[in-house]
Amino acid sequence: MKTFEQKWTAWLDDELSGPELSEFEASLPNKAAAQAEKAEAKKLGQLLKRELSAHRLKNEEFFSHQLREKIVHESGEQHHERPRRSPTSHWWTIPRLLWAGTASLAVFLICTVLVMHQERPAEESQYLTQILNARVDPVVSPNGTVSIFEVKQDRVTVLWTEGLQSLPADYAAK
Amino acid sequence: MLRSLAVVISVLLLTMTASKAAETVWSGLVIAENVTEPQPVPPELNRIEGSLKKFFGYNEFKVIGQSQKTVRTGQEDWLATSKFFSLHVDARGETPGGYVLNLKLYKEKELLLETEAKLSKRSPLVIKGPQVGGGQLLLVLVVQ
Repeated sequence: MKTFEQKWTAWLDDELSGPELSEFEASLPNKAAAQAEKAEAKKLGQLLKRELSAHRLKNEEFFSHQLREKIVHESGEQHHERPRRSPTSHWWTIPRLLWAGTASLAVFLICTVLVMHQERPAEESQYLTQILNARVDPVVSPNGTVSIFEVKQDRVTVLWTEGLQSLPADYAAK
Repeated sequence: MLRSLAVVISVLLLTMTASKAAETVWSGLVIAENVTEPQPVPPELNRIEGSLKKFFGYNEFKVIGQSQKTVRTGQEDWLATSKFFSLHVDARGETPGGYVLNLKLYKEKELLLETEAKLSKRSPLVIKGPQVGGGQLLLVLVVQ
C-alpha cells in the first residue's frame, strides 16, 4: 500500500496511470494548484539536468599534459630535497663543532710533539750551551787566554781560561 | 657532554701554558779543591759532578756564593757574590732553547772576565776562573 508521498512523487514523475491516476487526482484537494506545482517541479528538474551535467573539456590533452608535467616536477623536487633534509643537516650542532675543534687541536698538538721529537737529534747542538764571545781583561791579565769545550756526552759547556792572575787562599772566603 | 669538553679544553690549555712557565737559573761561585776528606757535592752540582771532577781534577766543590733567579721575560739581571768575587748576570733575551746571557766576573771592583753565552735549558755552563790558593774558582750556571 503506497503512502500519499509515494503516490505524489510518482504522479510528479508521470508514473501513475489508469485507475490509480484517477483515484489519486480525485483525492487531491486542489487539483489546479497541484498541476502548477507539478509543472514547477518539471521545470526545476530540467534546469538541474541541464546545469549539473558534466562539461566536456575542450583541451583535454593539453590539460592532462600540464598535470603530468606538474606531478613529474614536484616528485623530482622531493627527490632532490631528500638528501638536503637528511640527518646531516643536524650534524654540525655546537657540541659537535666543539668536539671537532678539540679533536683537531689534539691532533695538532700530537703532530707538533712528534715533529719536535723527530727534529731533536738534528738540532742537538742547539741544546748545548754556546759561548758567543769571551775576553779577559788585558790590563789585569795580560797573558790571559780563553778556550771553549763542549762535552756533548755530558751536555756541559766549559769556558777554559788560562793566565788569569792567581790569588791567595783568603779569596776563597764566602 | 659540555662538562667533559670543558675539562678537555682546560687540560690542553694548562699543558700549553705549562710549557711557557718561568724557569730558574742557578748561578754559583764554586771553589774546587783537592782535600783528604771531601764534602759531598752541593745538590745544584749533582748532575755535573762527574764532568767537574773529570775536567778539573778536584775532589771537592764548595759553593762560596750563589743566586737563584726566576727568569720570566729573559731581560732580568742578577748578582751572585762571595766575599771578594761577584758574578753579574745580565739576561739579554730568550732563545728557543734557553737564554742569552752576558756574564761579568769581578774581583771586588776589578773586571776579570766577560763573556756572552747562549745558556741552554739542558746544558750547564762552567767557567774556569782564577787560581785561588790551592784551589780553583769555577763559575757554574744551570737552568733548573
